[in-house]
Amino acid sequence: MAGAASALFLLDIKGRVLVWRDYRGDVSAVQAERFFTKLIEKEGDPQSQDPVVYDNGVSYMYIQHSNVYLMTASRQNCNAASLLSFLHRVVDVFKHYFEELEEESLRDNFVVVYELLDEMMDFGYPQYTEAKILSEFIKTDAYRMETSQRPPMAVTNAVSWRSEGINYKKNEVFLDVVESVNILVNSNGQVIRSDVVGALKMRTYLSGMPECKLGLNDRVLLEAQGRATKGKAIDLEDIKFHQCVRLAKFENDRTISFIPPDGAFDLMTYRLSTQVKPLIWVEAQVEMHSRSRVEIMVKARSQFKERSTATNVEIELPVAIDASNPNIRTSMGSASYAPENDALLWKIKSFPGGKEYMLRAEFSLPSITAEEATPERKAPIRVKFEIPYFTVSGIQVRYLKIIEKSGYQALPWVRYITMAGEYELRLI
Amino acid sequence: MAPPAQTNRSPSPSQPSGKSEVTDLKSQLRQLAGSRLPGVDDSKRELFKKVISYMTIGIDVSSVFGEMVMCSATSDIVLKKMCYLYVGNYAKVNPDLALLTINFLQRDCKDEDPMIRGLALRSLSSLNVANLVEYLVGPLNAGLKDNNSYVRIVAVIGVLKLYHISVTTCIDADFPAVLKHLLLNDQDTQVVANCLLALQEIWNGEASTSGDAMKEREALLSKPFIYYLLNRIKEFSEWAQCLVLDLVVKYVPADSNEIFDIMNLLEDRLQHANGAVVLATAKVFLHLTLSMTDVHQQVYERIKAPLLTLVSSGSPEQSYAVLSHLHLLVMHAPYVFSADYKHFYCQYNEPSYVKKLKLEMLTAVANESSTYEIVTELCEYAANVDIPIARESIRAVGKIALQQYDVNAIVDRLLQFLEMEKDYVTAEALVLVKDLLRKYPQWSHDCIAVVGNISSQNVQEPKAKAALIWMLGEYSQDMSDAPYILESLTENWDEEHSAEVRLHLLTAVMKCFFKRPPETQKALGAALAAGLADFHQDVHDRALFYYRLLQHNVTVAERVVNPPKQAVSVFADTQSSEVKDRIFDEFNSLSVVYQKEHRGPFEFSDELGSLAIGTESDVPAHVVEANDKDLLLGTPDKEESRGAGTNGSAYTAPLYDTSLLSTATQVQPELPISNPAAAGLSPQSSLAIDDLLGLGLPAAPAPTLAPSPPPLKLNAGAACLFTASPTGHILIFVMDRSLSQELSVSPQGAAALTTPQTLPRHLQGHSIHCIASGGQAPNLKFFFFAQKAEESSIFLIECKINTSSAKTQITIKADDQSMSQAFSTLFQSALSRFGTS
Repeated sequence: MAGAASALFLLDIKGRVLVWRDYRGDVSAVQAERFFTKLIEKEGDPQSQDPVVYDNGVSYMYIQHSNVYLMTASRQNCNAASLLSFLHRVVDVFKHYFEELEEESLRDNFVVVYELLDEMMDFGYPQYTEAKILSEFIKTDAYRMETSQRPPMAVTNAVSWRSEGINYKKNEVFLDVVESVNILVNSNGQVIRSDVVGALKMRTYLSGMPECKLGLNDRVLLEAQGRATKGKAIDLEDIKFHQCVRLAKFENDRTISFIPPDGAFDLMTYRLSTQVKPLIWVEAQVEMHSRSRVEIMVKARSQFKERSTATNVEIELPVAIDASNPNIRTSMGSASYAPENDALLWKIKSFPGGKEYMLRAEFSLPSITAEEATPERKAPIRVKFEIPYFTVSGIQVRYLKIIEKSGYQALPWVRYITMAGEYELRLI
Repeated sequence: MAPPAQTNRSPSPSQPSGKSEVTDLKSQLRQLAGSRLPGVDDSKRELFKKVISYMTIGIDVSSVFGEMVMCSATSDIVLKKMCYLYVGNYAKVNPDLALLTINFLQRDCKDEDPMIRGLALRSLSSLNVANLVEYLVGPLNAGLKDNNSYVRIVAVIGVLKLYHISVTTCIDADFPAVLKHLLLNDQDTQVVANCLLALQEIWNGEASTSGDAMKEREALLSKPFIYYLLNRIKEFSEWAQCLVLDLVVKYVPADSNEIFDIMNLLEDRLQHANGAVVLATAKVFLHLTLSMTDVHQQVYERIKAPLLTLVSSGSPEQSYAVLSHLHLLVMHAPYVFSADYKHFYCQYNEPSYVKKLKLEMLTAVANESSTYEIVTELCEYAANVDIPIARESIRAVGKIALQQYDVNAIVDRLLQFLEMEKDYVTAEALVLVKDLLRKYPQWSHDCIAVVGNISSQNVQEPKAKAALIWMLGEYSQDMSDAPYILESLTENWDEEHSAEVRLHLLTAVMKCFFKRPPETQKALGAALAAGLADFHQDVHDRALFYYRLLQHNVTVAERVVNPPKQAVSVFADTQSSEVKDRIFDEFNSLSVVYQKEHRGPFEFSDELGSLAIGTESDVPAHVVEANDKDLLLGTPDKEESRGAGTNGSAYTAPLYDTSLLSTATQVQPELPISNPAAAGLSPQSSLAIDDLLGLGLPAAPAPTLAPSPPPLKLNAGAACLFTASPTGHILIFVMDRSLSQELSVSPQGAAALTTPQTLPRHLQGHSIHCIASGGQAPNLKFFFFAQKAEESSIFLIECKINTSSAKTQITIKADDQSMSQAFSTLFQSALSRFGTS
């Protein structure tokens, strides 16, 4: 059996209970707090950092979000994967309600927190975790009490993620195609791992019960329809859909049709494990000029088409812990020394395709270190960037049809963006 | 920065501030209670909010209970909610006050607003006061028949809560039957889901005492019901889908067509955005195809991609949970993942719990083609900032080296580690080089050259120091200054805090003495003197033992201390495959995360903390126990041991005792071991051992055991079975495959078997030795073992003989499976001669 959670705790950064909800009465707050504060004291000891910890008959599972810990406790052999994702869902719901989930916002909203915890889980079993649906239950901040006679609609609906009677003056849909590129380059300059994780993020402001249909340049779909595939089609691997998408229909004819939830949600995610050329290539040369002076020369090159431009490029270069007196020159952008990260941060606002920029930095080192000492830490160069109007996979939204029985005209907006995910280049 | 209110945590705050505020609240509430002015609800709300926040931060506001109840006469749903919250919090500690609230809660259960009905019912059922359950039955009954699904959802869980407060009230009111009706007929899927989980809990609880409940529980797994759920699965919420899938796992389809139908139906669940659903589906797939080997492999392939994606998207905690499951799959079928090893590369800023799992998986999937790349990657981590991970990765390199045949390149890498001159890297690498040398003595030349350059001053960790000393002793003939290093170590005897190191030092000096006597004599004298004066019992004993041994006869001493060694072929793994199999049954539960099977009701053993990084060198007791079971349990009867586990601690306790006992016998191989059920043991403990051996004795201790069976002589073969290495490693052959056969004994043989001793005596003539025997005529049971001449392959035989029917059932376990059949024939012929000769 799946196993139920005994209680859910919200703890502050020191491990003290802020709010908790006791579902089954077999784990006390005192017990949990004692355990958790002990756990936090051991911080730095990586072996105690597992998100699932067993102590004295109780299994604790926790996640951290800003300065709050969310933790469930259970005495049963429960499903860790499920409870951990439930905790993340709780974070999402709280964020929906309080803008930001942190100690302060919890303290200001004890009542709503209790209400939400009651509706999301009953007797240790997850119930409803869709923020929009929950707002049907939570009335604390609703002042127009005359409407409360209406029973929560979604609960009686066939479509559990959308309520009836939603109305907007202007019907709009925003679709963001976001791809993040994960790349790992070893010290010989070889790409040893690369993949692309994409997501179609949607924000819908639509009235009624709209029926949506999304068309992509999916190779399987195009071939099934007998259309020519002129290099534009893409192979999506391992697609995952939001629960609103009719999966059976997708299996049959690869069409993506759905009744969207109201507001923001991830319509689908996918992964491509094809080899990706690093979009921004960084080379660094470190030269020890004498015992006390080190020079770093960095070349950053953009390896995408000239018509695209990367924005907000941030290159983090690790430097020795004891470096001081930085003297930095760049051919573009600005660079600053961030001693707290032992890194040099090079920011370039706009980085067009096919360009190459340079950075030269000099540091002083304390003169009393051994020459050619092996570097103590070997952090990689890390790169962050965004490239708008561009996708690595070449995915394209061919159409987004919205049909509602009232017949309104909805405006679909589509935007593409590629960004760096885990983008690491190991130093020589 | 501690928030000011945090100081008031005690239930009865002594701070005057808290107290006066509560008094204030009390008077304000009293004023508002009777008031009917417009806007009074708003001011009440403010006050209630205050009460709730005080309650939350730990100020005791139970004294305003009466006022709160008075103020609750309102139609404002927000006020009501806060009032329910308050009541729910204090009812348990103040049952008398709780009685006050029953009235208004019951009234609210009939409110016209379904929200209020539901909330009131939830509060009422959450009061958890045993003497109030009578007031609960009526509202629950009404709630279950409510036309609003929200109320029904709450009511179903309410029934479950009632069951936990008072089983009899719940059963007497016939609630399970009502739930069953809802389960099959309700339109709302959340009601159905809650019914399902409530009924599962209730019937699981009742099944032990009531046959009906057992039947009902079975009925949940009937074909029509499972199909009913499966066909509606898309309507369920994501969490309810997990619940349904969990039930489907237990369903046994009639034929392969049905299996494929179910899999086709659930195929799209693997694309669900919720990781829990994906994992639950994966579990269903894995279980359905357990008996279909080829399809099972395809299932691995099919679920691989979604799981790998789940790892790379989502939070580190979720990755961890999913990785734990992948870890299990990888350990089961490393070859399926051999091409995906890059997915297990670590990112720089991943939390170390994720890295640790990834490292283990990298180790497992390494094969001939990927070893080089994986080892290169692991070497990158050795320079990691995160020292524990750096250590882990060095260990991983070592493990790969021990798995692979082509270790040339890896040995070079390890030796490079030794030259990195970082203390922890050197320490780990030393331990590994030692293990490597035990398996591949042919590398000694290269390794010793490098090890010789390491100054013993730079090695401080006990394990590494012990490893270095072992090598100094073992290869003292190849290291020119070995005797002098050992001598200087001996001089600092008092500064050495670890007993392990001192023990190794003693042995190493002894070994060195036999190889280079003149140079070592002085050190030996000093070491023995220091050892004899040592306060640690083991060190003292070993020193004394060596001393007397030398006194007795030097050549004998050399044979004991410095015998020719066989290369170790297999190191004891940290977990037997049988345990892994059992964890496999518990896919999607905490067992997987802990890598530990779940024994008994809601109990994991407390050694969990130390489990994750058990290295071979300190095989923890439970591993020995597991391996022990593996060695000695005849047929690995999962059901039986599981059932026993749930019976409570009665089973595990003796099991643990005996495992300790056998651990003791294993680490002292020099001692002659008599029969495990030796006379020294009390009848109870011998019974416990019989339990361990799976003899399944009747309640009374078998009198046949009292006349001691022939003593077990552990010859060379036996010593090989339980050999302790110089470093304390315990060598255990893991034999997981067995061969079972039905044989028959000749009638004469059966007649001759009047007492159990006759058969072992007969078989001993055929070089088959008895470990243990027992049982009462006509059912006798024996455990034998035999060793193949000139080779180390060992056979363990469990033999059940029924003397009246002359039927014999044997189970043979062998580390070399190809020999099982041959041995079986041999055993059969030996058996057939029994009674005739």
